[in-house]
Amino acid sequence: MTFLTACVVVLLAGGCGKRETLTAIGDRTQELRLNNEGEPSSLDPAVATGTIEHAIMCSLYEGLVTPDAKDLSLHPGAAEKWEISPDGKVYTFHLRKNGRWSNGQPVTARDFVASYHRMLLPSMASQYSYMLYPVKNAEAFNLGKISDFSQVGLKALDDYTLEVTLHSPAPYLLSMMIHDSWFPVPVAVIEKHGAIDDRNNPWTRPVSFVGNGPFMLKEWRINSHILVEKSPTYWDAQHVRLNKIYFDPTESADTAERMFRSGQLHSDPQAPPSKVAYYRKYKPNLIHVYPLLGTYFYKINVTRPPLNDKRVREALAMAIDRHAIAETITRAGEEPAYCLTPPNTAGYTCRGKITEDVAAARRLLTEAGYPDGKNFPTVEVLFNTLQSHKAIAEAFQAMWKKNLNINIVLHNEEWKVYLDSMRRTNYDIGRFGWNGDYVDPSTFLDLFATDSGNNETGWSNAEYDRLVRVASNTGDRAARYDAYQKAEAILLDEMPIIPVYFYTRPRLIRPSVRGWYPNVIDQYDFKSIYLVPQDN
Amino acid sequence: MIDTTPMAMALPAEPAGGSSFWRDSWHRLWQNKLAIFGLIALSVLAALCFASFLWPNITGCSYEQQNLALGPAPPDHVHWLGTDPLGRDLLARLLYGGGISLTVGLCATAVSLTIGVIYGAIAGFAGGKLDMIMMRTVDILYALPFAIFVILLMVFFGQNFILLFVAIGAVEWLTMARIVRGQVMAIKRQEFVEAAHALGLREWRIIFRHIVPNLLGPIIVYATLTVPEVILLESFLSFLGLGVQPPHSSWGVLIKEGAEVMEEYPWLLLYPGAVMALTLFSLNFLGDGLRDALDVRGSKD
Amino acid sequence: MLRFIARRFLEAIPVLFIIATATFFMMRLAPGGPFDSEKQVSPEVRARMEAHYGLDKPLFQQYVLQMKHLLQGNLGPSFKYPGRTVNEIIADAFPVSLELGLEALVVALAFGLAAGMVAALNQNSAWDHIPMGLAMIGLCVPTFVLGPLLISAFALHLDWFNAAGWFFPGDRVLPALTLGAYYAAYIARLCRGGFLEILNQDYIRTAHAKGAGGARILFKHALRGGVLPVVSFLGPAVAGLLTGSFVVETIFGIPGLGRYFVTAAFNRDYFMVMGSVLFYACFVVVFNLVADVALVWLNPKLRFE
Repeated sequence: MTFLTACVVVLLAGGCGKRETLTAIGDRTQELRLNNEGEPSSLDPAVATGTIEHAIMCSLYEGLVTPDAKDLSLHPGAAEKWEISPDGKVYTFHLRKNGRWSNGQPVTARDFVASYHRMLLPSMASQYSYMLYPVKNAEAFNLGKISDFSQVGLKALDDYTLEVTLHSPAPYLLSMMIHDSWFPVPVAVIEKHGAIDDRNNPWTRPVSFVGNGPFMLKEWRINSHILVEKSPTYWDAQHVRLNKIYFDPTESADTAERMFRSGQLHSDPQAPPSKVAYYRKYKPNLIHVYPLLGTYFYKINVTRPPLNDKRVREALAMAIDRHAIAETITRAGEEPAYCLTPPNTAGYTCRGKITEDVAAARRLLTEAGYPDGKNFPTVEVLFNTLQSHKAIAEAFQAMWKKNLNINIVLHNEEWKVYLDSMRRTNYDIGRFGWNGDYVDPSTFLDLFATDSGNNETGWSNAEYDRLVRVASNTGDRAARYDAYQKAEAILLDEMPIIPVYFYTRPRLIRPSVRGWYPNVIDQYDFKSIYLVPQDN
Repeated sequence: MIDTTPMAMALPAEPAGGSSFWRDSWHRLWQNKLAIFGLIALSVLAALCFASFLWPNITGCSYEQQNLALGPAPPDHVHWLGTDPLGRDLLARLLYGGGISLTVGLCATAVSLTIGVIYGAIAGFAGGKLDMIMMRTVDILYALPFAIFVILLMVFFGQNFILLFVAIGAVEWLTMARIVRGQVMAIKRQEFVEAAHALGLREWRIIFRHIVPNLLGPIIVYATLTVPEVILLESFLSFLGLGVQPPHSSWGVLIKEGAEVMEEYPWLLLYPGAVMALTLFSLNFLGDGLRDALDVRGSKD
Repeated sequence: MLRFIARRFLEAIPVLFIIATATFFMMRLAPGGPFDSEKQVSPEVRARMEAHYGLDKPLFQQYVLQMKHLLQGNLGPSFKYPGRTVNEIIADAFPVSLELGLEALVVALAFGLAAGMVAALNQNSAWDHIPMGLAMIGLCVPTFVLGPLLISAFALHLDWFNAAGWFFPGDRVLPALTLGAYYAAYIARLCRGGFLEILNQDYIRTAHAKGAGGARILFKHALRGGVLPVVSFLGPAVAGLLTGSFVVETIFGIPGLGRYFVTAAFNRDYFMVMGSVLFYACFVVVFNLVADVALVWLNPKLRFE
């Protein structure tokens, strides 16, 4: 009986009066509540693995340069100015003299060098160490080929001057530096809590965490929340308007959307596909759909017949309707992809294009020895279990049956099993998605070099490898892009992949959030974001 | 003198015959209207599902014909239950998938039931060390991670459909065994069992002719509870890659996918859910009827 | 009885040992490892990470080391959350699942037992069919449907609660109802069956004949026997309830242990899987023991064997 009474009391108490929602409270107190799509694996740049961690680390650390949220142009961050040598190989950064760690210590060039040293230590086993490879001898040091770090092109000329020497010009270096692998870490603090290269070093707990960013780590409860607070020691604290940021780790898109609706979140970056159409139609002021630097495509295992015949691959790529997929299945304003790199990636737009032409596809299939799909062996499409992947695969299955009269079998696997199958190239056609690490076509086109660990298709082309290598060794933008165009043309001719669409981000965001702007890498600029209480 | 009054003439020539336990039960079942309704509903549903399996275009729409332009549409005169996000007719998919779900639901339940009853009866009856070993084995199997077990099954045996039954059977018999064991331990202490012992009946006979009929009540109840669990478990297994592959479907998968879009396209959840509920209600009524009919203490008076 | 309990604890040791061994080999045999990700790491990095966690040693050596650690109570580090140990994660998440589980259990027992008893006492009447009908609905409606329905009605439309989270007292209501509904339905069905078995027995008829009223019969005579099948079911069910439900915790954003059981296996977080499996196994052992003891207590004819 008492339990029932308690239930009734709670219900009544809950129902009395209009509750002030958590976001309304946040609007008043300048606390931004964000869904971050998952629990971060770590807040240590040398250990962290992805975009989830990056979003939080952008509030806790500051790199040499910071991107403008609107157009991703680069502003001074921890470095107040820099020079680039005429040959493009030496960058000299002048750090701010008033840069401070959250424990009050000054941020020096030695801190940066020590951070990069740590990042490149072979024993650190950092997944993103390759982001530092443009630096001279960085790769050699990271692979253990040399053991003397002084040979690596990272030097602290004095307390506030950092010199970065590259092995060849890399015009995209500065845009790479907004990635967390280039963030500084408080090496002295890390050493106090354990070995410098121990990924289990507990220094990132709130009680011991130190960072140089606009916010400090206040609370971190796994799978519950992360709370960061404005850092008083940050050099530009006067321009930081938010007081707190609350990161919610809910992975389920449905749960996050419900939380957004019930006023618990200011923004949810992962609106479920079925709800995007609803919001766009009925609540357009709550949703922003913008392109992301990523491509959804199918990888083809070119070592397995009949897929080893490029005419078959081309036929498959031409006999599908990408517009229908984007419009009726994914429905989040995606652009169909007729090549690999998203349009206007740092000014590069692919000239080559796949044409959707069913008649031509049938001709190719006939030429390959399967007139009207006769005797075409069963080919399997592999994907990891997710409703949208399944729907797209089913649509392709029906399209290929209708247009080419061939039978495709679908096969879903659980995530790790799928990854394992892809890694071992144990598939016929496999679904894949790739988000660019930084804004440059190389982050996409490097994928299909012969020695790339993410190739996984068994495709290898010497000319393609040569072009990609040439592009990465020259600083002249025109020459680079020319090489990339040629490389992408080869890719589209040989067709080891079937591009489907370019990613978009359907983000739910409340009108009380100001100073936020969409960009292709979904970078937050927490210094500029602020909240304005709404009347409703 | 022979009594020639009408009453006397109406008396049967032979004394009232005894009827067997099973005949009595069948008679009682037949009188239970709800149970018969359940039986009929189930049969009709099963017939429709298997008919659509054999003749896929029976409703006029195919279960796999996509219509991307149409997309998810509410019920109309062409698509009686509406369409799914790929424009496929829901009624056709529901009936086609029903064959799979009913087969899996009923067969897998029957399999796990059989194993569970035999195992639990032996353990409960035997007692002592055998009981201990058997029940500790159940504890062990209970605790092992199911998802990994299924993944390993697929690694070693491929993606055979039979594996679906193995996987489901492997996990569902455990609770049944425990319940049966508990019941058997209670029943074996009762007087009629001691009497059977005293009469010198062999163990197997005692277990299966005297004890098991007394178990039928909980067994039937538990079986009707297991069927919905199995149907939904199948959707978890298809998440792991076992079970039906697209474009085929099953009720569990339809319900799971419908739940994801229940606010935008409620018919995608409503109709599969309603059909599954109808099946389960029918099973429930039938099960209750069976339970009542087979109750050994059901009075003859 | 104490000897019985002590013996069961002794038996638990080989049980846990076998579970640990089976889990260890099952996890290592499954394809895919903790370091597989969509952006594949280079072979050098992979080799280093494996060496760091000792995964490059021969399998049997790893097994022995793992067993040694387990005996010391050290459940190891988590791969998915570097810097956190499995002990820590469980200690942090378990109290949440425990609270939710207890609240759901209260809901399940209150509604389930009541419905079962009412139905059994009024067999084949409307008061039998209605509660059983509701119970069947509770069984057919899976948690991943019931949860969002409740949230949609009470949190989003009526605005009585938050849609997700575990911070305020009100956050407990909807998850407890969602989690408890299924068990309430199960208990109602089992309970009704159990009661009917008892109520049709001769000694109940005797009580009736002697003039005892319905409620008195119920509580004094039938309750003990009728609850029997419920008790057998509840043993492992409570173990599952208290260690958390993946679905409910995902839908309501609850930082409990239930999620880890599933996500750890999917992440191939070896030590986390081992830790959570053994943790759950301990609960299963304990609650099966409690259920067996309760069985004997309820039915005086049973003896501890």
